[in-house]
Amino acid sequence: MKTVSSTATLWSKISAALPRDEEEFPLQFGDKVESSVVEMLKRCRRQLYSDATAASRMLNAQIVVDVSWEKLNTGTWRHVDKEWRRVYSCGCLFKVAALCRDDPSADEVVQAVRTCDMGLLMGADIMDDILQVIVRILQGEVRKPTELEEESEHTEVKRMKTEIPRAPVIKEELAIPRIKCPSLESFSTNYLLPLKPVVLEGTIGHWPALNEHPWSIGYLRSVAGCRTVPVEVGSRYTDEGWSQTLLTVNEFIDRHIWNKEGVKGLGYLAQHQLFDQIPELKEDIRPPDYCCLGEGDEDDITVNAWFGPGGTVSPLHQDPQQNFLAQVVGSKYIRLYSPEDTDKLYPHQSKLLHNTSQVEVENPDAERFPEFARAPYLECVLQPGDVLFIPVRHWHYVRSLELSFSVSFWWS
Amino acid sequence: MEGARGDAANDVKVSGPTELASKADRRGCCCLKTACQIRASWSRRASLHFDSDSCVCLAGFVSSEAWSGLPLRESRGCRDALISESCLTLAFSDRLESWDLQKEEKTPSWSMEITPPPESSGPSVGLPLVPGGYIATKPPLYRSLSPQLRAKSLALSSEHAILLSASGAVYTWGLGSHGQLGHGGLSSEEEPRAVEALLGMPMSCIATGSWHTVCISDGGDLYVWGWNESGQLGLPSRALHQDVGTSPAEGPQEGEQHEEVFISIQAFPALLDITPSCEIRSVSCGCRHTAAVTTTGDLYTWGWGDYGQLGHQTLISSDEPQRVEFFREQQMQVADVVCGSWNTFAAVVKDEVSCS
Repeated sequence: MKTVSSTATLWSKISAALPRDEEEFPLQFGDKVESSVVEMLKRCRRQLYSDATAASRMLNAQIVVDVSWEKLNTGTWRHVDKEWRRVYSCGCLFKVAALCRDDPSADEVVQAVRTCDMGLLMGADIMDDILQVIVRILQGEVRKPTELEEESEHTEVKRMKTEIPRAPVIKEELAIPRIKCPSLESFSTNYLLPLKPVVLEGTIGHWPALNEHPWSIGYLRSVAGCRTVPVEVGSRYTDEGWSQTLLTVNEFIDRHIWNKEGVKGLGYLAQHQLFDQIPELKEDIRPPDYCCLGEGDEDDITVNAWFGPGGTVSPLHQDPQQNFLAQVVGSKYIRLYSPEDTDKLYPHQSKLLHNTSQVEVENPDAERFPEFARAPYLECVLQPGDVLFIPVRHWHYVRSLELSFSVSFWWS
Repeated sequence: MEGARGDAANDVKVSGPTELASKADRRGCCCLKTACQIRASWSRRASLHFDSDSCVCLAGFVSSEAWSGLPLRESRGCRDALISESCLTLAFSDRLESWDLQKEEKTPSWSMEITPPPESSGPSVGLPLVPGGYIATKPPLYRSLSPQLRAKSLALSSEHAILLSASGAVYTWGLGSHGQLGHGGLSSEEEPRAVEALLGMPMSCIATGSWHTVCISDGGDLYVWGWNESGQLGLPSRALHQDVGTSPAEGPQEGEQHEEVFISIQAFPALLDITPSCEIRSVSCGCRHTAAVTTTGDLYTWGWGDYGQLGHQTLISSDEPQRVEFFREQQMQVADVVCGSWNTFAAVVKDEVSCS
């Protein structure tokens, strides 16, 4: 057992998390990983436990990262061999070790956090989630915002909220029904089995995200500010100018919530399994009890984060699973169409977008899509504390009315 | 011959053209002085010698130092060869053989008899084309091709293919997710489909990178399509301009928009202008870079440069074709170019030596 002093250096903390020596460091991969790549991995491992120049360590680690990155981008993501994702994670691990070895600068620590995130986002679990362990160590070293900075930002957010968003008025006859804390049986009988949408009230009030750790911009910065996340840029994913990029949470907040750099295009941290990447946030939420009515375990539930400024739009689309959309911060306008009316919704023909409608819901082109106006729908404004049940394959359109953070639970 | 990445024991990143020194020379083996062809994968290089004593020599990550540079006994008499990261494929007059490079075995891991085409049927085609079809990068290794395509040459990446027919038409198939098929969308094609945008314009040379495709027209024009994330298409790539902040000289002007259009995926063929204007004679692609030789003996490279593969004495990627100045400075004419995954090999003729 390694002992570290109370003034342990960053490297001694990281090194304590790594296997004790070369023999204890596993490098076993399937046939798909060529011997030449395994050789590079072995060189990296050797250098981890012996003398080498910083440049040489970085070079070898980067070679592993580069060659496995190419494999991860070859073919379809679904078919990428898990072994290559493990190689990628190993490469990231060796790179982080190289960056943090010799009294790293603040920038090197930031790079190391980013590298851990790339391994967590694109790689696969190695050595009992060692990248997660290491990023936690690194987060402890990164400069936190000062109290003054947090205070001024808190005031900014409050000011933003007093500006009344242009919330659509929900017509009563089109409103999605609302019910407060139904029993499992009642939810199952009245909504799940007949596949009817409903807004559940009062079911997530106990979430730490709405209690002890109320989610706010300041809180997100402190828990995840330096972490890298995928961000969608552009009005909607069906637009030509739409793209995805990787930003730290701080950069995302600066550019797309505050628009500090006059950046064009909305940014949306959308459909990302943030809670796998940042376990502290996972502890602030709970899967809705009603998910137990489904077939799988808790592990089968896909949890996604949706965080962005007012004005983000998810075009009308359908998903192959049941969905609980929980609203934590801010409000969203949501419209639902039944799968029975798919013929009036003009889905795209291409295989890639066949689950997405071509129609701009709040500005439909009546000439190109004449039947759309005749499609019946239900709508709501989802508020903090609400959970919307979107039955499987129900078409849904979402627009955020203000700074918003939602959590979706896909289950079957 | 020159390469832009040395052996593992020495520098890993060789960013300027360097003559291929052969350890083998010291052993008195086949030489790099007589004309030979190069094929390269990620970690190895194969030198093909086609004279009275045809053979293939391997260098790079070979199982035993003893083998490096020596002609492979198994390759004696072969007509053509292809190298991938996992195997060496040899074409003989009567058969094809594929040897697993990761194991030392006495027999090929795969082989197939072929009926040599009659002498009168025109010039023989090169690997990966074989009589009746081609050799793929993964099993099943032999795939048939319709004779109607009249395949003249074929280039493959692990996920897509481009075929040049005798008529000058090009056909593509495979994965289209990065626009590499050139049909305007992102869908895949199971069967060869003609690249309509180029119909009527005969092509003479084709090449594939991991996610992009390049071809040269009879008139020496270069067409590119596919993924441009490292600038491998020679079109503006966002990733290569991320760190550029606004310089004080060009602050935001009132009413003026300095919006650069970046291209991430080019799904239709685009004509690539190389300035000063020139005619392209041949082209080759690595995973994420492209190298082209002009009719006047210049070599241009662009795309991913992190390993020095562009040969401009830097480790910078470029989304604009740039001439490799070294050859002009050394008064060498580049005759041909071949790329490995992360490197580039140029065949040159010294200006003062007459060709024979």
